This record gives sequence, structure tokens and C-alpha cells, in this order.
Amino acid sequence: MTIFKYILRDTGRLLFRHWFLGILTLVTAAVMMWILGLTTLFSMNVQNLLLKLESELVVQAYVKRGSEVSAAAERIRTLPSVASLKALSPEETLAKLQARMGSQARALDLIGENPMPWNFEVRVKSASQVVHLVRSLMAMEEIEDVVYAGMVVERVAAISRVASEAAMAMFILAILITSLVVYNTIHISLYSRREEIAIMFLVGATRGYISTPFVLEGTFLALLGSLIAVGGITSAYFPGIRLLQENLPFLSLVEDPGTIVQFGVLLIGFGATLGWVCSYIVVTRFMNSATRPL
Amino acid sequence: MRIKFSGVTKIFKPDIIALRDVHLDIEKGEFVYVVGPTGSGKSTLLRMITREVLSSKGTVSVGDMNLKKMRVSDIPYYRRDVGLVAQDFKLIPHLTVYENVSFVMEAMSVPSKMVEYRANKVIEQVGLWRRRFMNPPQLSGGEQQRVAIARALANSPSLFVADEPTGNLDFRTSAEVMKILMSINAGGVTVLMTTHNQYIVNTYRQRVVELDAGKVVRDERAGGYAPDDHL
Repeated sequence: MTIFKYILRDTGRLLFRHWFLGILTLVTAAVMMWILGLTTLFSMNVQNLLLKLESELVVQAYVKRGSEVSAAAERIRTLPSVASLKALSPEETLAKLQARMGSQARALDLIGENPMPWNFEVRVKSASQVVHLVRSLMAMEEIEDVVYAGMVVERVAAISRVASEAAMAMFILAILITSLVVYNTIHISLYSRREEIAIMFLVGATRGYISTPFVLEGTFLALLGSLIAVGGITSAYFPGIRLLQENLPFLSLVEDPGTIVQFGVLLIGFGATLGWVCSYIVVTRFMNSATRPL
Repeated sequence: MRIKFSGVTKIFKPDIIALRDVHLDIEKGEFVYVVGPTGSGKSTLLRMITREVLSSKGTVSVGDMNLKKMRVSDIPYYRRDVGLVAQDFKLIPHLTVYENVSFVMEAMSVPSKMVEYRANKVIEQVGLWRRRFMNPPQLSGGEQQRVAIARALANSPSLFVADEPTGNLDFRTSAEVMKILMSINAGGVTVLMTTHNQYIVNTYRQRVVELDAGKVVRDERAGGYAPDDHL
């Protein structure tokens, strides 16, 4: 207990001794964690949008006249990319078409006999599997034609891919910059106290006693930076998505407060861990060279 | 604590020989001056005892410990039993006299009440009670040296190592420091001290080990700074 008291006191001293450097580190860590958080949230929202689109994505397969409908349905169900299948009779299909056409549906009466064949509404498990599924359906002899929103799927998948890559690049950049700033701050802190550290070693202070305040300093700065970043993100995110949904109501965004809180906690934990790891590495390297006998 | 150097040679890279085949046996409770010209290896000898320097050949033992084979994790605990005083005092300038003395005990997790009691006691012992809340740069050289002694005494060490403790001090202050060291030795603590001060060695007669170019050239009980015929 006593040792913790001394270590905490020394950590406080370190933070106040290099207060300007500490503030610079804090601001940099906060900005980087903020960018990291926003990029991740953007990526999460794109993923959410894609999932929504995928869940609504339907491939329409029209059955050849005279083909066995139930046998065709069974064969389609066995395809691995199929999430669900719904068979529509010619009457149901015509009714649906009429409903969609509204006042222009009277035009269909001119045709006389119902021209619609049996067809299937096939839902896919993932947008990336659509093209493969369409090829499989086209290859089936019972299927006359296949209709799907091919371009939309391809574009959404491409956006998702680019967003994921951009998020990953930002993620790596933010980690690198934060790590470097924390590393340098602790290194300067250690360097400015190198004589003191040498004296402490000479009078019998343990490595843990000397190094813990430095590790705590780095961890604390990164933790505080992450807290500020999470505060900034949450205060900007909810008004932001509210505004987006007012103007673009069809967008499906991450708006569950529980998910955002969980994300914030994760970001804070990640920031603190990053600070701890960087400080630990620099302190270990410094202590190894300081304690090496001649 | 007994100190034993057995055939110790130290070569600093690339080829600077600091000590050559040193054999030395210092009994518990002895007071030993290590004398010799600059570059003769005095400081290296002391730094081997504090385990800042390891021998290239031979062994240095303190008590029953072979310092070269000592585990890294055991070094802090060993050093707590070795009081160290350096010519440049090695004090932490932004800490007060009291804090400079107390942090040694804090590093050992000594409870704060005990730290307070012990720090005040050793500060009083070296005559700095009225200066206890001052910082080292506000003190004279002699006072700073006394702070260093108080710090070295804080853990009640069995061995006291002083590297030129009077090197930067005037005649009168040196005599004060010597009196403190003598009283520490009188309490049964082994004291090893390097010095250039002829007056001190000749006044407070103790065992003298003389080094020259890294070799022990004289080891004399109650000797002077130089053999009597050289004085």
C-alpha cells in the first residue's frame, strides 16, 4: 500500500513537471483517438447500410412454363448462398404487379390471359454472393430468366470495400502517431531525469519503483486523451445522425445508444492500452541501458 | 561486511586496463583509505563494490555474495546495504534535504511514519536539522556532502563507500565530514574511502591501500598518505 502511495505521488510529480509536453501529448492523443473513433464509426455505418441492403436484396427467378415448380424450388434451396426462398404463383405475381402499377394497371387487362409465370423471390446471405447465385440459377434448366439489382449490389460492395480500406489506413495512421507521441513524451521525461534515475538505482530503488510512474504517466495521458475523444465523438455523433436521418430517412445508421457506449468504452480501453504499451516499451529500453554494468 | 578482491582485473574496451590482478581483503568494521594518483583505479575499485562495474577477470565478493554472479533482481536489495557518498554528492536538486534522504526509504516501501522518524534522525545526526527543507543548490558544498552522508545512512548500511567525499571541500569542512565518517565506522560499519587529501589520511590514521596504474602497490595498517620516508 505504501509503495502505491509513493508511486502515485511520483506520477503526479512527473505530470506536473512536464506539464506543457503533457498537454501537447494529451491534445495529440485526443485528436488521434477522435479521428480513429470517427473513422471506425463511419465504417460501422457503411457496414450497417450494406447489411440492410443485403437483407433486402432479392433475386427474382422466373420458371419456364411446364417445368416442375416444387422440384425447382427444392434445387434452389440447396444452393449455399440462398438465405430464403418464396414461390409466387402467376396470380400472385400479377396482383403484385398491378399493385405496383397503380392507376396504370388497367393496361394489364388488355392482355387478357395472365402472362406471368411461376417465379421465386430468392434472398441471398451476402451481397458478394449475388453474382454467383445468379449464374447458378441461370444454369438451371427450369429457370427461364433471372432479374436482380446487379449494379446496386456491385456499387455498395465497392463502397464498403473502399470504406473498410480507408478506415484501416486511418486506424494504422492514428495508432502510429499516438504511439510516437506517447513514446517521445515518456522518452523526454526519462531523459530529463536520467541522473535522478541513476541515483535511484545506486541507492537501491527497484526497477519497478523507478519505472512505474513513467509507465503510469504515459497510460494516464493516453487514457485522458481517449476520454476527451470519446466525449467529443458522442456529443457530435447523435446530433449528426439525427440531422442525417431527417434529410435522408432511408439511410440505416447505427443509432443504438448501447452500441455507441460500448464502442466508447472500447475506444477508451484501447487508448489506455496503447499508452501503456508505448510507455512500457520506452521505459524498458531506457532502464535496460541504465542498469547495464560497465 | 567483508570485502574480498581475488585476482581482479578490469579492462575497459578497447584496451584501457583500470585494475590489474588486485588482491584485497577488507574485514568487517574496518576503515580503509584507497589512495593513489588520478587514473590509478580508485574509483573503478569502488564502483565494483557498488556493482556499477564488473570485473574482466577475478572475483569481487561482499559478504558471501559474488557480485558478478548476482542476479539483476537482487542488486537493489544489495545496494540498500551499501551507503554511497560521491565527490559530486549525487543529490536530486529539485528535492529538499528531507526528501533526498527520505526517498531512499520510500523506495523500500518503508511506512511514511517510519520514513519521517528515520530521515529526521539522520538529518539531525549530520547537523542539518535547520536546513532540512532547503534544496541542495541552496546549500554549501560541505552541507551537500552531509546530505549525501545522511542519505547513505538512512538505510543503516553495513558498508559505507565514499568516493573522494572531501574532494570539493575546504579543510575545516573536510574535518567535519571525517568526524562523521569516523563515528559511522565506530558503530561497526565498514568504511571504504578514496581520497587525495594527505592531511586527512595522515591525521585520521587507518589502513591505507595505495593503487598505481591499477595495481596495489601498498597495503599498510595505520599508514600515512605515502610511505613515511616519502613524507
